[in-house]
Amino acid sequence: MRRRPVAIAALYAAALVVALFAVAPFAWMLLTSIKPDGEILRRTPSLWTGHPQFGRYADVMHAGFAVALRNSLVVATGTTVAGVAVAALAGYALARFDLPLRRSLLLMVMAVQMFPLVVLIIPLFVVMKALGLLDSWLGLILAYLSFTTPLAVWLLRSFFDTIPKDLEEAAMSDGATRFGAMVRVIFPLAGPGLAATAIFSFIAAWNEFLFALTFVKQENLRTLPVALSAFVGQQQADWGLIMAASVLFTVPVVLFFLAVHRRLTTGMVAGSVTG
Amino acid sequence: MGSRFDRRVLPWLLLTPALLVVFGLVVYPVGRTVWLSFRSAGLPYLASGQSRFVGLDNYRRLLTDAHLREVFVTTAVFGFACVAATMAVGLAVALLLNQPFRGRGLLGVLVLLPWAVPRVAAGVVWRWMFDDRYGLVNWALSHLGHDFTGFSWFNARLPAFIAVGVVVVWQSFPFIALSLLAGLQSIPPEVREAARMDGAGPLQMLRHVTLPMLRPLLLTLIVVSTIWDFKIFDQVYVMTGGGPYRSTELAAVTVWREAFARLHLGSAAALAVALFAVLLVMTIGYGRLAREEMAIR
Repeated sequence: MRRRPVAIAALYAAALVVALFAVAPFAWMLLTSIKPDGEILRRTPSLWTGHPQFGRYADVMHAGFAVALRNSLVVATGTTVAGVAVAALAGYALARFDLPLRRSLLLMVMAVQMFPLVVLIIPLFVVMKALGLLDSWLGLILAYLSFTTPLAVWLLRSFFDTIPKDLEEAAMSDGATRFGAMVRVIFPLAGPGLAATAIFSFIAAWNEFLFALTFVKQENLRTLPVALSAFVGQQQADWGLIMAASVLFTVPVVLFFLAVHRRLTTGMVAGSVTG
Repeated sequence: MGSRFDRRVLPWLLLTPALLVVFGLVVYPVGRTVWLSFRSAGLPYLASGQSRFVGLDNYRRLLTDAHLREVFVTTAVFGFACVAATMAVGLAVALLLNQPFRGRGLLGVLVLLPWAVPRVAAGVVWRWMFDDRYGLVNWALSHLGHDFTGFSWFNARLPAFIAVGVVVVWQSFPFIALSLLAGLQSIPPEVREAARMDGAGPLQMLRHVTLPMLRPLLLTLIVVSTIWDFKIFDQVYVMTGGGPYRSTELAAVTVWREAFARLHLGSAAALAVALFAVLLVMTIGYGRLAREEMAIR
């Protein structure tokens, strides 16, 4: 079927509008972060800069962002390692054994996806206060496990389901125990699934704001989103600095995200909807 | 196959850590919040665990306190408005990406970007975009006709909600668009071909063929985005802080404020439980609907 020139022009115009809407804030963030100070506060924004300067990234690090970056890395990595370890064991058990929990798992995952984190926050705060876990990395990691673990179990169970059972049965008839077969035969084969689940957990922990805001008051233990929001709250907002901070916070997860978004899509759909 | 240990004990050993996480960090806190919603609890509760049973008082407060009552309406209106806008934009982008044109693959990747940006960063960047004097938005709008120079988006309720809504839609349309695109591509070409032979134009095609075939998927996506948009916290906290005069507080923000700024832990818990209940009812309702659809087929 041939299309009229008007229709084709409209198509490209629409594509351009969508692309602008999607990318403009992202581009504006990058551009503001490297503009010289004098070019940022202009009534007529300059859409390009002839004098890019990257010094702000160093300034941001000195302004306390290096510490926040460290905290975020520790908390996100801790959440990922603990969550994936816990979920790999549970996912394997649910994939290979006929357990009564198999059916309620989906319900659990759906419920956790559904409910607002504010439902958990008061009791978690009280318990952490009693255990001295406020203002600590461990406290945040534990809090994050509440929402990363169920979905991770669900994702890994479906990965293990795709690996043929014959493989560990062969290993077991060669004398391996079930546990040995799981660790040495199945986990290595589930590598891509484990990696995708790990990245999903990392992103979720890296981005989380509500718990980080509530459970950590000490400035030197703040994670990136909390440090960033504190920057914005200051009286005279230095937008060049704030955008540099936003870039540092955003770029790592965008790269991770683009690497796994396909799996993430199916995971989210399965996790929040199926049934 | 395998020893008795392997069949009977091992599975439960493997599950134990996950069960501890789920019960300790999800089931217990939820139960505790429900319990707290029937009690009066303030600073003494945080300090030493003191609280008093007050029956349904906290829930009664949700209905009698003018601000809390308003928060419910605001959350619902804002939530559904965002869902409607997200679905409209998502559907439009999906239909666009379903057309053959040069650069379609590139657009498919570019559209992913907003989804990947952390919510707090998105709020911060858009706060700068909406800056009254130096923001890109006011400059662009002024060029499109109406003069927006110096217009301050965060001094009044409606503009502030529009700004927050734009961020919400910006972050959630990619998921909707890509899911709908997958749905569109699974419609058999013969169906469209047959409709075209019968003389259906593009709009008729959309209304009578495409949308009905996407109905189950559309329903699912509406429920998922409703759940997201009723829980919004980060964007509001970063962009408006709930202001001016608490007028842009949504339910999650109010729970947090009641609990950790005003130390009304009981009513905060009641509000959280009510929000949870609303989402639960919607999800169950959707589950029913989905099952009926299945039964019809």
